[in-house]
Amino acid sequence: MSMRRTHLYQYHREHGKLIDFAGFEMPVWYEGVIPEHQAVRNSVGLFDVTHMGRTLVKGERAEEFLDYMLTGEVSTLEPMKGLYTLMCNERGGIIDDLITYRLSDDEFFLVYNASNREKDLRWLERNSQGFDVSIQDVSDQVAMFSLQGPKAEETLKKLCGEVAELKRFQISRYRIQGLDIMAARTGYTGEDGFELFILDTPLQEPWKAVRFWEMLLEAGERFGIKPCGLGARDTLRLEAGLCLYGNDIDEEINPFEARLRWVVKLEKGRDFIGREALMRVAREGVRRTRVGIALEERGIPRKGYEIWNEAMIGVVTSGGYSPTLDKGIAMGYVPPEYSKLNTPVRIKIRDRLLKGKIVKFHPFYNESRYGWKRDKG
Amino acid sequence: MKKDYKLPSELRYSKEHEWVKVVDNGTVLIGISDYAQDQLHELVYVELPEVGREVSRMEVMGTVESVKAVSDIYSPISGVILEVNEELSNSPELINQDPYGKGWIAKVKPKNLETELKELMDSEAYKKYIEKQG
Repeated sequence: MSMRRTHLYQYHREHGKLIDFAGFEMPVWYEGVIPEHQAVRNSVGLFDVTHMGRTLVKGERAEEFLDYMLTGEVSTLEPMKGLYTLMCNERGGIIDDLITYRLSDDEFFLVYNASNREKDLRWLERNSQGFDVSIQDVSDQVAMFSLQGPKAEETLKKLCGEVAELKRFQISRYRIQGLDIMAARTGYTGEDGFELFILDTPLQEPWKAVRFWEMLLEAGERFGIKPCGLGARDTLRLEAGLCLYGNDIDEEINPFEARLRWVVKLEKGRDFIGREALMRVAREGVRRTRVGIALEERGIPRKGYEIWNEAMIGVVTSGGYSPTLDKGIAMGYVPPEYSKLNTPVRIKIRDRLLKGKIVKFHPFYNESRYGWKRDKG
Repeated sequence: MKKDYKLPSELRYSKEHEWVKVVDNGTVLIGISDYAQDQLHELVYVELPEVGREVSRMEVMGTVESVKAVSDIYSPISGVILEVNEELSNSPELINQDPYGKGWIAKVKPKNLETELKELMDSEAYKKYIEKQG
């Protein structure tokens, strides 16, 4: 099968190092993971995330349908607001995590993982019978960028002053230099920022998307904006304690284990797929839980490495070097009795057991210094 | 992004991208090539071999890790580890900055230097070899 490409492919090829991600040829870095990571934590960075899935769900019963499909409470979602939520199977396992925006009373916009594009679409279609909704995959008609970092607002304001009004998880439509843009105040880095949807940009006609990319880089020039690849996207989300589908969550893991209880609305007025199974989990508790681990010795934990206490107690689901903390950090699953903060654990790296401990991981960094809640000024 | 890699002609190179520099009859220095450091990019961790350990050619003697990848260091020659570059523990990026100088990894007392040197590539042959790797 040939690799899929985004509108920015020529730019990525000329300026970055390409890798295969979920079947897409995407940049892993341009200059390097660490400088790009730091640009986002300290100033601003720009990502092409067009590989993600974007689908419109419309119809009089769209709200009812999505309340049935998702763990969140869609009926209380106001127009032009978004919700981080999950799609589960009947067993309560996570099919995907996604953001659902309500564009109007009967129109919703779903943004989900690149690796699940086909699966999610099939799942939505298969379960839509009887709801009379239209499900339209617009991924190839809408480009998507992510502008992230403490200087993201100032950067975007240079192109469109109104974006300053946008609150977290709000979405709005703007006309920016002749382009039709939807901007949402969301991201996957822990920082303030925007996810930008460039409407009416079919893949075969990449120019509008390329032009907007260049406009953003120019607008952020005085803040030292950097184009950022998937490498920095991964280290940033790991430091923020955000799940990567396929690593930290999948169909064998339920939201309670994943510490995503807060996005499951068991008491919402409507039934949803997985509700019964999740009610049982709520009653009976979990046998494993997602934790964060920071290494106290030098070393880099990676996916699949064993987590030990007296004996092996779990496995790392995401790990790596944290540029902000300058140490190895990881997320993984362990039995609840080992999940208390400061519990000593070890991570097996090759033939050695390196010392670490359970730490606060959502996020790993100090929130008064980094991230969208940081102290201003 | 085609690059010109630095490949000093006084060194010998292995297929696994290590280099060997003969300091004198009794000692050689070992490191990884400019090409290898560029492919790995941004090294953030180096696991060094123990001093005194005996290594044979092609044996794993250590590990280098970048943000994205883990890569073994294979000993390009047989011998005893005399010294390791401790600086790399705190500053693995020295390998990126200066792979043939400050980024050296180990000093080894070789066992079959003459024979084993013949099995390594000179800079011309190594250049052709990495061109084929793309």
